[in-house]
Amino acid sequence: MKRTVTMLLMPALLLVIGCGQAPTDKLGEAEKAVMDAKLAGAQAYAAEDFAKLEGMLNNAKKEMDDQKAKFILFRDYGKTEQLLASVKAETPKLLEETAKKKEEAKAAALKAQQAATEAVKKAQALVSKAPVGKDQAVVKAIKNDARALTASLKDVQAAIDAEDYLTAQAKAKAVQDKSLALSSEVRGALAKSAKKKK
Amino acid sequence: MDRFPLNRLRTGKVIVALSVLLLSACVQQAPPDLVQSVETLDRRLVAAHSAEFAPDEYGRFVQHWAALKERLRSDDDVVGWPWEDNPFETDLQALHDEGSRVLALASDTQNAERRGAVAHVARLERRLRRFTSRVDQIGSRVTLGEKRVETELLVKQARSFMEQGQFVHSKRAARQADEQMTSQAAQLNSELGRYADKAQVDHWRTMVRRAADWSKQHHAAALVVIKATKRLTLYRNGQAVASYPVRLGFNGVQEKRYEDDGATPEGTYQVIRMRDRGQTQFYRAFLLDYPNADDMRRFQSARKTGMIPARARIGGNIEIHGEANRQLSQTLGCVMLGNHQMDALFREVEVGTPVTIVGAVDVDNTVAVVLAQLDQGDDDADADGADLDDTQTPVDETDIEQS
Repeated sequence: MKRTVTMLLMPALLLVIGCGQAPTDKLGEAEKAVMDAKLAGAQAYAAEDFAKLEGMLNNAKKEMDDQKAKFILFRDYGKTEQLLASVKAETPKLLEETAKKKEEAKAAALKAQQAATEAVKKAQALVSKAPVGKDQAVVKAIKNDARALTASLKDVQAAIDAEDYLTAQAKAKAVQDKSLALSSEVRGALAKSAKKKK
Repeated sequence: MDRFPLNRLRTGKVIVALSVLLLSACVQQAPPDLVQSVETLDRRLVAAHSAEFAPDEYGRFVQHWAALKERLRSDDDVVGWPWEDNPFETDLQALHDEGSRVLALASDTQNAERRGAVAHVARLERRLRRFTSRVDQIGSRVTLGEKRVETELLVKQARSFMEQGQFVHSKRAARQADEQMTSQAAQLNSELGRYADKAQVDHWRTMVRRAADWSKQHHAAALVVIKATKRLTLYRNGQAVASYPVRLGFNGVQEKRYEDDGATPEGTYQVIRMRDRGQTQFYRAFLLDYPNADDMRRFQSARKTGMIPARARIGGNIEIHGEANRQLSQTLGCVMLGNHQMDALFREVEVGTPVTIVGAVDVDNTVAVVLAQLDQGDDDADADGADLDDTQTPVDETDIEQS
């Protein structure tokens, strides 16, 4: 009799325990998906969408905690699983959006880098024509500036290599602005020098 | 015959009433206009960069919205009585209110951040302008080398980030620029601190007094060059009889250490040769006996301690000269005057005339004042009402005060 009861109860108990098992593996997968999105730059390039994904994950975690707080027989992780599945399902869309925005930022950074490189080249060409006259200080300072600008182009490239396109763009724009100012300074010095020669 | 017609009638009424009641109970659904309204609000929250400017509040909103969406998806058959509130409507309304509060907070924070960043960048740009102007004032642009442009680029980046709404990046670039300026100020203070050193200035003053005394004793001319004021004074019989503006080397205020460093040497020298027209490319010139024994000793010591490059040479050919042939002339540490002034000096100076070159003769000299101002924060400068040009000594390029 005892044996029969045990045999009848066991599957029921296993079923109850099985249903009350927290989906930790699925949580792990969802967390990994969010981390992947973060590593892909979603936080920087699609901040709001990333915040939403994180929100969904937090929701799932909260739901899981709520269930865990219940007596084992009353636990139901169905909603948690649903939420975790939503996180996983949303991630590819976010990754795609991130990649798109990143590409846009990259294109803008590369364009700014090109403009900066050209401006530096022009400034350097003008600096080589700078009058070597009495104003040694000015000439030396201008040459220092041109050297610094050339070195800064490496910083722009480094930011691009690090996929930090926002920084790269800002750096490139700064280099371009300064190169234009330097060119204008050299042109002024050349004009002054030409005037004195007359 | 029906024995209980009244009862039947009552029962019928009850049934009808119950049926009506049951029929009036309906499946409650989320009002589409309210759902749309929350969706629109969500888009506005995204546009307002709420994740950046109200992260916690937006995070909570997102959680609530996600949970409600989940309910909208799964609990689409909620039955309620007519007198009961539609739970979707109530929750959506609450969520809308929450979102509106988040939006207001994000907008306020963003505006405050923008105002803060605008003020910060403007203050930084002011500091850079002052800094640059002061560094130029003491002729130390070259000393700072490439650092100056690096700082300028950081300031430009801070502005660029600020304009793009990237306030965190803007602040970071601004902080780096601030730090660089502070570090450069420290470098200049370390290299030029002797101008603010009372003992050193007293020593220089003594050197000048000795030159004047020598002139008095020997009834002869003596020249004194003060680097901080960029002036050359002619002494005759112990009296200062003329003072002329001069230009120094491209690193003039620095202490001369080796050839081509652009610094003008300090010390007591003598004119060892007078170069007239045709003998110099600089109109007329007095060649000094640089390097003297003191210079040699300093140079050897600096080389031993590794303060100067191992291959550096001490150099020479330091002159007081005119400015003819401007295009070919180079000032690597010489003292340059206008040609009229050189003509005047040529009548007074001879081989053997002592030339004393010092940094400054008063502790409140331009270099010391500028160094103190470099250390001064922007707020202090603002409080003092300091302007870009307030400390600049006009350079008298044309002529001289003569006594």
